[in-house]
Amino acid sequence: MNKKPLLSVRDVAVLGIMTAVLEAAKLALDFLPNVELVTLLLMVYTIFYGGKTLIVVLAFTLIECFTKGIHVWVIMYLYMWPLLILIVYLANKRGAGHLFYCILAAFYGLFFGLFCSIPYLFIGGISMAFTWWIAGIPYDLVHCISNFILCLILFRPLCAVMRRVKEMSPQKRR
Amino acid sequence: MTKTGKTKKLILAIILLAACVVCFVLLFLKFGPKAEKGSKAYVLEVKGIEKSAKYEGRTDAEFLSGLMDELQEKKDFSYRGTGSDYGLYIYAVNREEANDANKTYWAIYVNGEYGMYGADSQPVSDGDTFILALESYE
Repeated sequence: MNKKPLLSVRDVAVLGIMTAVLEAAKLALDFLPNVELVTLLLMVYTIFYGGKTLIVVLAFTLIECFTKGIHVWVIMYLYMWPLLILIVYLANKRGAGHLFYCILAAFYGLFFGLFCSIPYLFIGGISMAFTWWIAGIPYDLVHCISNFILCLILFRPLCAVMRRVKEMSPQKRR
Repeated sequence: MTKTGKTKKLILAIILLAACVVCFVLLFLKFGPKAEKGSKAYVLEVKGIEKSAKYEGRTDAEFLSGLMDELQEKKDFSYRGTGSDYGLYIYAVNREEANDANKTYWAIYVNGEYGMYGADSQPVSDGDTFILALESYE
């Protein structure tokens, strides 16, 4: 019996481009602390590509390791982004709308520092984790507001682009 | 679910989000920056790759590490370091970490000149300007 492969050649190509766009968007906004398009892009990717977005996250984390080195944030990335993908995946199955994703992005930005402080619980105890989180609250507030605004403005155009990519089958292009 | 039900849930989510924002701000005000008094004026600039920040104030700290400890308690500043043969080795400031993989380290500049001491032996004088810069050692 022929087993259907997990990823088609087309999937590999599209996921590769998605990873490249993600990394480019991350680098483009690196000069603005906690203003990023990664959350929004991963949400849109998950809506159209579901669990396959995890491959994009792994590739993205690997590229970040190559460019910035391996540190505590790698652990954070490995649970923070899959968590977002899981939430979006479940929400998409229940037919969540645009405003829901804007609110989700805002919540995600606001709680990013709190969830990212988890590794510090094991490194320096609750005191270190708490201090680290509190020190970053202004950045989390910026993250929250910027995520909401970016999602409000860019979610629909990005979905439109992804819809075109998804619908562009090889047969249609011939 | 009906459209009205969905709208109600979204409004509740927005209220919850606003409440969380208020709580976070209150937490920051309670445990974050505090007014400080001291005999020596200072400026501490952090020049990371991703983030930059500037802190000004007055302190009684004898050494830079003491000033950084004060800032960590009172302002949105954080650092992590470890003891080494050459004194306190700073490897993270404001969540930005130096690492061997991309050959970066946190350099200390004192009044525009490259610091000769570690943070725990760098004296603080009135009017000093310190810069913590994430630099490459290549």
